Order: sequence, then structure tokens, then C-alpha cells
Amino acid sequence: MTPELDTETRAAPNYDDQFDAIVVGAGLAGSAAALTMASRGLEVLIVERGSSPGAKNVFGGVLYTPTIRELTEFDDAPLERYVAERRFSMLSRDDETAVSLRPGEWHREPHNDSYTVLRGEFDEWFAEQAVEAGATLVTETTVTGLVRERGRIVGVETDRPDGTIRAPYVVLAEGGNSLVSEGANLKPTESRENVAVAVKEVLEFPDREGVIEDRFRLVDDAGVSYHYFGEGAVGDAFGGGFIYTNEETVSVGVAYRIEDAVAADQSPEETLNAFKTHPAVAPLVRDARTVEYSAKTIPEGGAESVPDLVHDGGVIVGDAAGLVLNNGVHLEGTNMAVESGYHAARAIARAADRGRTDAAALRAYPEALEQSFVVQNLERYAWLMDAVEADRDLLFEELPRAFADAGTEYFRMDRQPKEVHADDAKDVVLDALGGWTGAAKLALRYRKVVT
Amino acid sequence: MSADSPTQQIENDSLEDRLYTVRYDDPGDSHLDVKVPEVCAECETNDCVKVCPANVWREGEDGVPQIAYENCLECSSCRFACGYDNVVWEYPKTGGGMTFKHG
Ligand SMILES: Cc1cc2nc3c(=O)[nH]c(=O)nc-3n(C[C@H](O)[C@H](O)[C@H](O)COP(=O)(O)OP(=O)(O)OC[C@H]3O[C@@H](n4cnc5c(N)ncnc54)[C@H](O)[C@@H]3O)c2cc1C
Ligand code: SF4
Ligand code: SF4
Repeated sequence: MTPELDTETRAAPNYDDQFDAIVVGAGLAGSAAALTMASRGLEVLIVERGSSPGAKNVFGGVLYTPTIRELTEFDDAPLERYVAERRFSMLSRDDETAVSLRPGEWHREPHNDSYTVLRGEFDEWFAEQAVEAGATLVTETTVTGLVRERGRIVGVETDRPDGTIRAPYVVLAEGGNSLVSEGANLKPTESRENVAVAVKEVLEFPDREGVIEDRFRLVDDAGVSYHYFGEGAVGDAFGGGFIYTNEETVSVGVAYRIEDAVAADQSPEETLNAFKTHPAVAPLVRDARTVEYSAKTIPEGGAESVPDLVHDGGVIVGDAAGLVLNNGVHLEGTNMAVESGYHAARAIARAADRGRTDAAALRAYPEALEQSFVVQNLERYAWLMDAVEADRDLLFEELPRAFADAGTEYFRMDRQPKEVHADDAKDVVLDALGGWTGAAKLALRYRKVVT
Repeated sequence: MSADSPTQQIENDSLEDRLYTVRYDDPGDSHLDVKVPEVCAECETNDCVKVCPANVWREGEDGVPQIAYENCLECSSCRFACGYDNVVWEYPKTGGGMTFKHG
């Protein structure tokens, strides 16, 4: 038995001395961390399992770029379109009721820092920025576990021959399917109520010049982000559908809780088909060729699911740390991934200056994150998932139908005066809400989403 | 509202055609398995089958699912879906498995 020594006097762990830090995964969080550390003079190794960064990755999606813009020569980034319109749409079985936002400001730089991208191209570019800053990237290599000495993380095991690599700091940026973090008992496996299954298609419109601009009312590199809720999007599941415009293609998909997917009478693929066939959606996606079909999970446990972010010799960032905001109105993970990678990297650089690797020396990372929009937003909306869960039938089925019916009543063209139609419309909605008291309670419950 | 508002014909590709859009490098053996076959034999929900967007998991005759691992899109849903924590889920070796071109 060796006597317990305290951290400072214990013999230094055996590192290979080639790298200061190893980053597991070249996604958004990993490349942000690697780029930030390399720019501060650390020797960084990024280990990515795909044949190139992005090769295994998929999202909706809209990339939110306030931090990436700061970290890179952003003008060179492979962006598809900037988001000029956001549309939120409630679908009942064959009705649509929608709200659309097209602020003039979004047409001007920096376009509200919201751009559609395709991850294959974007992640590869972003990792290249880290390499240009001095980081080393290895691909087609999977991290299979952590190397630990007396509890401290001192390196990673990979599936390469002689694949053990040691370094003082390990950044776990492995995404939501966090096998390494879970295998090392740094976090539990998320329960299926807190994980969504998502399926997506990328569609192309052969020989139809200008079809995307025409269907979505776009000029130049303007694009749209459409979100759909309700029965017509994902049945009675908790989740939604989406359409995003890329430069030459359209992304369409659905995402909903696995808990609901296993209870549903249709597979995720069939849910996607049904969504695409909805009368309000079909005209936007018809006559297309599927150039890619993909699937992935989204961790959506919110603030309560975020594990301890720092350990002796290691940090967890991005989706691996559950840093995704998905509350219906917002689906944001890209900005949180980048922000967390950036703050973790800064904390590591400062700890390295002081020759420290212990968790206490890395606490600057969770502290910075708590001060940032990441934790503030997650906590702000923590209550929402529970509220929505309690009201799900009302929100996803009864209300969409009531709004559509109310709209139909309100605009009804017959020989009755408008007042009668307005009253009928009001009645339909109030019926669904349980009268004025029900409406007032509901408004009170959800006011924080928009205020 | 009327149940028969005009729907535009949407030609959805078959799952087979959809999976053809994704490049696949066979790592040689399955990265998926079940931990204890008897648990599957007892399991009546088959949530792995229901959640899978790529028809990898299929109901087997003895109640233990068949696994067509080469269809796998590596989404990880089955791992979370199984209520008995009975799915063995590893990454395909050295970068094998599927590659998305677009993402
Ligand atoms: C369908 C869908 C739609 C979404 N839409 C949006 C959206 O519109 N806007 C938005 O902001 N967010 C969206 N998100 C969320 C967003 O995509 C994620 O939050 C973000 O990608 C997280 O980045 P990350 O770097 O943490 O993880 P990832 O992007 O998942 O990157 C993890 C990386 O690690 C690699 N890796 C994993 N394990 C290992 C290992 N053991 N060894 C080596 N490499 C490994 C992976 O190959 C991958 O490159 C969406 C997600 C999904 C699934
Ligand atoms: S859900 Fe789990 S236990 Fe049931 S058949 Fe699938 S893998 Fe086996
Ligand atoms: S990871 Fe996804 S695609 Fe692969 S078997 Fe599991 S559910 Fe199916």
C-alpha cells in the first residue's frame, strides 16, 4: 500500500510529454476548445472517430455564431444561407396556424449570427482552423476509454494499435452519445424521457433552378428556419418538425422524445413521411430527390441533466455535458457547444500556466459558463419542459385544432356580421382552454417563454 | 374542417433507397449486440425495434432481435430506448460504419 499523499507532493503522473491536452471529438465543442488552447500555445491533439471532422455529424440546422465569429476568420466559413425568416407553425391533422418573423435587421450583417450550414463541410473547416492554430488532428480513431492514475484522468485509450495517449488534460467533447464519459462514470446514461430521436433528409430539386427562392420567398443568400408543432408534425409526441433552406438543398426532419417514439404506432421514418405529406408542408418539399437520410439523438434534459463539468485532469463540454436548449421555441446546441469549449480551454490554459491539473484549478470553466448565456438560458427554461409535459394534449392537439377552427370562424365568409364570427372564434379557443380562467392560468404559466 | 383538403403527392423514397444515400464501410463485425438474450426473450415491448429509424433491429423468432448492423446510422436511439438497458452499443472500429456527406 502506498500512503495517501496530497496532490502537490504526489509524484507527477507519467505523461508522454508530447501533448498538453487531448480533445475527444472534432465536433463544434471539440474544435472550439482545441482552437482556443492552441492559440494560447498549448500542444493539442484532437482525436476524431470519423474519416474527417463532420463525417459522422448531423443537425437541423441553424448554426448560431456569436463566438465562432470571434474565434475564426469567419468570412471564409462554409455557410449555406443566413436566416432571414423564422416561422413557428402549429399543425393539426390538416390545418396550419403560423407566426412568421422577418425583421429587416436580419438581412444585414451580422445577420443575427444565425446561418444554416451542413455539418460535413462546416465541421471540417472549423477543425482546420484549430489545426492552423497548431493543433494536431487524427481521424478514424475512436477513444475507447480514459487512462486514470489514482482517480486523476491522465490520458485516453484508442482503438489503434499501441493506442494509449497520455496528457495532463483531457477534453471530453464526444457529443450526446457520450460512451467515454459514461464508461468512466463521469455521468449516468440519460433516461429516454430526456433524449429525442431525430431523423432528417437533405433534399435536392434537380433541374429546377430557383425553386428554393421561389417556394420560400428568398433573394440571394437569405434563408428560412421553419419549426412545426402539434399533431400534424409528430403525432401526439413531444417534439416537432423542421425545414431549413441550404444554398442548393432543403433540410427537412422531425425530432421527438424517445419515450414517446416507443409508445407511438409509427416509426421515426414513418413520422417523417407523415410530416412531409401534411398539406401545409408537402408543397414546400415536393418533387425533390433525397440526397441524404440521417438520424441522431438530441440530449434535452436541460439544466438538471448537466453533470459535474470538471474532474482532476479532465473537463466535459458541449452535448456530452447536456448543454442543449430545446424548449419548442428555441433549439440551440451549437452556440452552447462552442461557448463551453471556449471557456473550458481558457480554464485549462490558465491552470497549465500554474502547473495545476486538479479539478479545483479548472473551476474557472463552470464558473465562466454560469455567468454566460449557456447556464442562464438552461436554467431560465428548466421549468418549461415540466409545464409543457403537463399540458401536452392541450398544447399539441387541442390548441392547434382550436386555433385553426377559430381562424376559420373568424374569417368565415357568409351573410352574418363579423361580430358573430369573432364571437364564434373566441368561443372555440376558450372552449379548448377551459374558459377565461383556464386561459389566464395558461398565459401566466407560459409568459416567461416570451418575456 | 374537411378531411380531404388537397394533398400534394409526395414521393417518399423507400428506406432501402434512403440508406443508399449514406456511405458505409463495413468494419467486419457488429458494433451492436444484446447483453443478455434471455432478457430480450422475456421483453414484450421491443422498444429497440420501434425506435430504430434504419430497421436495424428486427423481431426475431425466439424473441431475441435480429440485428442488421450494416444499416445502422449510429444515432444511438436504441441504446436509450431499451427499458432493460440490454443493448450493447460500441462505435464501429477505426472510423468504420457510416459517413454522412452533408450532415
Ligand atoms: C436533428 C438535430 C437538429 C439540431 N438542430 C440544431 C439547430 O438548428 N441549432 C442548434 O444550435 N443546434 C441544433 N442541434 C444541436 C446541435 O447539433 C448540438 O448541440 C451540437 O452539434 C453539439 O456539438 P458537440 O461538439 O458537443 O457534439 P457533436 O457535434 O456531436 O460532436 C461530437 C464529435 O465527437 C466525435 N466522437 C464521439 N465519440 C468519439 C470517440 N469516442 N472518439 C473519437 N471521436 C468521437 C463525433 O464523431 C463528433 O465529431 C440539433 C441536433 C440534432 C440532432
Ligand atoms: S428493447 Fe431491449 S430487452 Fe427488449 S428486445 Fe430490445 S434490446 Fe431486448
Ligand atoms: S444506433 Fe440508431 S440506427 Fe443504429 S441501430 Fe440504434 S437506433 Fe438503429
